[in-house]
Amino acid sequence: MSVHLEIEEKGKSALVRIEQAGNLEELDACRVSALGKKGALSEALKQLGQVPPEERPKLGALANEWKARLEAAIEARKSLLEEKKIEEDLKKTRIDVTLPARKVHRGSLHPITATIRKISETLGRIGFDVTTGPEVETDFMNFEAVNIPKDHPARDMQDTFFLGPGVVLRSQTSPVQMRTMREQGWPVRILCPGAVYRCDSDATHSPMFHQIEGLWVDRKVSMADLKGVLDFFAKETFGSQVKVRLRPSYFPFVEPGAEVDVSCAICAGRNPHCPVCKGTGWLEILGAGMVHPRLFELAGYQPHEVSGFAFGMGVERIAMLLHDIPDLRLMFQGDQRFLGQF
Amino acid sequence: MKISYKWINEWVDLSDIAGPAALAELLTARGLEVESIQRQDEGLEKVISAQIILKDKHPEADRLSLCKVNPGGGAEYLDIVCGAQNMKVGDVVALAQIGAKLPNGMKIEKGKIRGAVSMGMLCSESELGFAKESDGILILPPKTPVGWKLADVLGLDDTILEIKLTANRGDCLSHRGIAREVAAALRKPLKSPKVTEFRASGSPIRVELEAGADAPRFFGAHMTGVKVKPSPEWLKARLESIGQRSINNLVDASNYLMFEYGFPVHIYDADKLEGGVIRVCRSKAGEKLPLLDGGEVELTGEELVIADGAKTVGLAGVMGGGNSEVSDDTKNVFLECAEFHPTLVRRAAFRFGRRSEASLRFEKGIDPEGHREAIGRLIDLVAKLAEGECTGGSAAEIPMTAGKKTVVTSGAFLNGFLGTDVSVETMVSIFESLHCRVNRNDDELELTAPSYRLDLNLREDYAEELARTIGYDAIPTTIPALSGMPKSRKSDPRRHRAQVIDRVKDILASEGLHEVLTYAFQSETWLSRFGMRSTARILNPLSEEQGYLVPSLLPGMLKAFQENERHHFGSEPLSVRLFEVRPVFSARAEAIEAVGESETGVVEKMRVSLLLSGPRFDQALKSERGEVDFFDLKAVVESLLEQLRTKGIRTRVGDSKLLGESVRLFHPGQSLQFSAGKDPIGWIGRIHPKLESELKLSRPVFWGELDLEPVISLTPEKEVSFKAWSGFPTVERDYALLVDDGVAAENLVQSALKSGKPIAKVIKIFDTYKGSPVPEGKISIGIRVIFSDESKSLEEKQVDQCSELIVRKWSEEFGASLR
Repeated sequence: MSVHLEIEEKGKSALVRIEQAGNLEELDACRVSALGKKGALSEALKQLGQVPPEERPKLGALANEWKARLEAAIEARKSLLEEKKIEEDLKKTRIDVTLPARKVHRGSLHPITATIRKISETLGRIGFDVTTGPEVETDFMNFEAVNIPKDHPARDMQDTFFLGPGVVLRSQTSPVQMRTMREQGWPVRILCPGAVYRCDSDATHSPMFHQIEGLWVDRKVSMADLKGVLDFFAKETFGSQVKVRLRPSYFPFVEPGAEVDVSCAICAGRNPHCPVCKGTGWLEILGAGMVHPRLFELAGYQPHEVSGFAFGMGVERIAMLLHDIPDLRLMFQGDQRFLGQF
Repeated sequence: MKISYKWINEWVDLSDIAGPAALAELLTARGLEVESIQRQDEGLEKVISAQIILKDKHPEADRLSLCKVNPGGGAEYLDIVCGAQNMKVGDVVALAQIGAKLPNGMKIEKGKIRGAVSMGMLCSESELGFAKESDGILILPPKTPVGWKLADVLGLDDTILEIKLTANRGDCLSHRGIAREVAAALRKPLKSPKVTEFRASGSPIRVELEAGADAPRFFGAHMTGVKVKPSPEWLKARLESIGQRSINNLVDASNYLMFEYGFPVHIYDADKLEGGVIRVCRSKAGEKLPLLDGGEVELTGEELVIADGAKTVGLAGVMGGGNSEVSDDTKNVFLECAEFHPTLVRRAAFRFGRRSEASLRFEKGIDPEGHREAIGRLIDLVAKLAEGECTGGSAAEIPMTAGKKTVVTSGAFLNGFLGTDVSVETMVSIFESLHCRVNRNDDELELTAPSYRLDLNLREDYAEELARTIGYDAIPTTIPALSGMPKSRKSDPRRHRAQVIDRVKDILASEGLHEVLTYAFQSETWLSRFGMRSTARILNPLSEEQGYLVPSLLPGMLKAFQENERHHFGSEPLSVRLFEVRPVFSARAEAIEAVGESETGVVEKMRVSLLLSGPRFDQALKSERGEVDFFDLKAVVESLLEQLRTKGIRTRVGDSKLLGESVRLFHPGQSLQFSAGKDPIGWIGRIHPKLESELKLSRPVFWGELDLEPVISLTPEKEVSFKAWSGFPTVERDYALLVDDGVAAENLVQSALKSGKPIAKVIKIFDTYKGSPVPEGKISIGIRVIFSDESKSLEEKQVDQCSELIVRKWSEEFGASLR
């Protein structure tokens, strides 16, 4: 067989094997056997010495041509096989992406905490600072400092837990007002959130519940200022459409005193069977008034120099309205079906 | 307090008012909050008078009757089945017709009872809302017309307003008091009845005041020839309309006077009074007094009593004595209209559990100038109702030391205080409508309140009168100005404390825990299950369950766990992940007592409690979900302290002596103590298996509690300051150490940190192994030490030296050898 034919022959058969290579390893073996130092083409070219010199360039060119063809075929086959391998790997590593995700637990803040924060944030915008005080209080701070002396009929309004002579579980957050007024001079602009206690337990009363009180004392503070602050608070909390209504009332620590209603954000007074406002169109949410001058005396202020307003609300009440919570008792049961919703 | 619309109308002309609802609105706007409006005929619209024509036994039931009833108006007789037996043929009764909805909520429908048709129902008093309980059906008087509406038959055409009166308005505890407010609002005159002039002479019984200013006045009147009998229908109806029971004409007269004028009065049987004298004095300690409710009280010497020449005859302001009470045979009476010290009355009423309509009025203060008129009215009522004749009166009065209180204020103050712009003329007219005496001098106002307004003492009180008269709605709305700089929030320890507490809650919520709030009180028994004892007992708890302030949050936390366990069912694993941030309480001394104005002797310390139980992941395939264990809880605490950047909190393993109170709470081999310096500040761990079985817990619980106060002080307030990292390569060395099982890995870490200073920067435990080929009683611990230097590349030799030192220390301190 002439060298020429042998090159053609070997080239063709290598080409066939390349096309038949089933994987990258086989393909590499083809490359070695066809193009390697001891490969078919090299072996064929070794016989070049036996052909006449004038034919050698032609044969050389033919060998190079085959080399190039085979290399191209190997490259083409390689990329085809590579793609095939990726396809196979992808198939092997497929997962059912609709299976459940590995989800970590989601925690929550108690709605009371969240509500206190919301109120504090709202009123913080117009200058109030948050401050707190002890839950066990002296009778003096809980009552006398807020103008409820011993044997005052207003003590009927609150049934108080006693721990010892002159020591109570505070029945309101007001003692924080007096403690703060005594500690710092005026102006005073504070919010006092916290737990309070009364001997009362039924569907709508809990022996432990939460209040948040506000106090603003300065020169020339007026009842119009109180109305403005309450209006701002109500609109920020319940929506810009709600209206605020003040009704005259009595709390020993304020004069004048008021009970404060907001218009029902659910029915706006249009549903006589509204479950939220009971058809009245109004929701009582807090008590308020102008600070009684007696409190300024007890704080060591000159009652003629300052005036101020105070307001207080039940945090549970606000939280229940904001989140449609139907039963106060849910707040203290620790039931995650409840807690997990917030 | 219940108020009758018709009664108010007798005192002030209500013709300008559009009915009870409008009156309620007016009162509420003036600070007299109307809580409910009740028409007397509500629920009685379809109840009529009807006559029983036939009465037979029900063939199927002995206890039922079959009646034929004439509904009047010529209509056909109706068949009615009735369960009562107290009626007979000819009786006129109350028939609820088909479609009626009775005051007790019962709806009347056409029905069959044991096969017999019933076309309505014969009503009892309780079904009609007249009484809480009643026997049999209501039988109306014999001559009652048939076929009338029951409300018309009984004259139930009034409307009753329930007023929630505030503690300062004792002057409104009567129909006259409410009418005064209405009259002021409507600018109409008050229609007072003509009252007999009281004469302070001619009484055979004289009055003596022996308690000084505590009982400053007593007006008495002697009346003869009274006839004790049932009250007339109009009086019965009126008292019943405001929720009072009619007793007899004398008792009813005194009650009527009280609800009309607001003066609590008392009527004695004059023939049971001895010595021709009535005295007001303090009781004698230990003395016993029979009361007219049949009870007897032992007096303490503090309360005011009424006595005659020989004995005590009444507990002043609270209740009359049983030894001088009016009976059916009473002929002569002595009327009392007096004033007693509010506090003494209040204390006595509380002490003997006898708070009454009378004591309530004394507590809130009585018009010191109204007694003369009130007793005159009472004399008239007794004369009219019981045919008594007044022989004379006797009175004693201690002159008021302080004159009428006059307040000087100004239009400028009132407008500034309220933020209003009311003219001084308007102010004057408003105060005059409230019967205040006004002296105006340009802008200055000198104001004197009427005697019954005991609540008007300060210029602020008058500001309220002005505000509620113009209406709170008329006050404008402004936002107060900030005067001066807001208080700085930097370097305020309380602010820092609040911020750390907020951060703690946020971090724990982000770690997948739910914030819970538990009661601050628990029962002694429950606390003792955890080996705890509270030092702060509530003297008047609602129940033993809530008797003690908690010394730890854990008992409440476990209750919350059990609550979740209780309602859990099905095959889904229960996951409970809770935290609480609340104070715990302890008393400084055995007895809790206030010291000064602000010291309570009870210490409150903020704590955080944690509880984990159930799968590690909220959602995942079963094989991947895992179960939380000790290290999940430890991770939460470490994450908390790391995020807070708290420095100096150390841990210590389960030395049971150090665990103190926690011994009963935690598995000794799965618990960790935290301390700040040498002081333990809390523990975490698996619940003690004994406690777990005692409490019958369905699954392992990991829980713990930390004192937050030291955490707060060890948490920097300073902002994070950036630290540059070393640009030089680090060198790592891994060691497999063989140590006795029981050596705490953390101790190896601490040792290496110390001996490898300053280049051994990070020490990590990456593996532990027990079992072959590791010998019995030993454990192999894999530790990686990472060396670095901020200023240069480490040399091999330097690392080798340091490494050798570390290994030697491990060997010396823990007997560790390299594997």
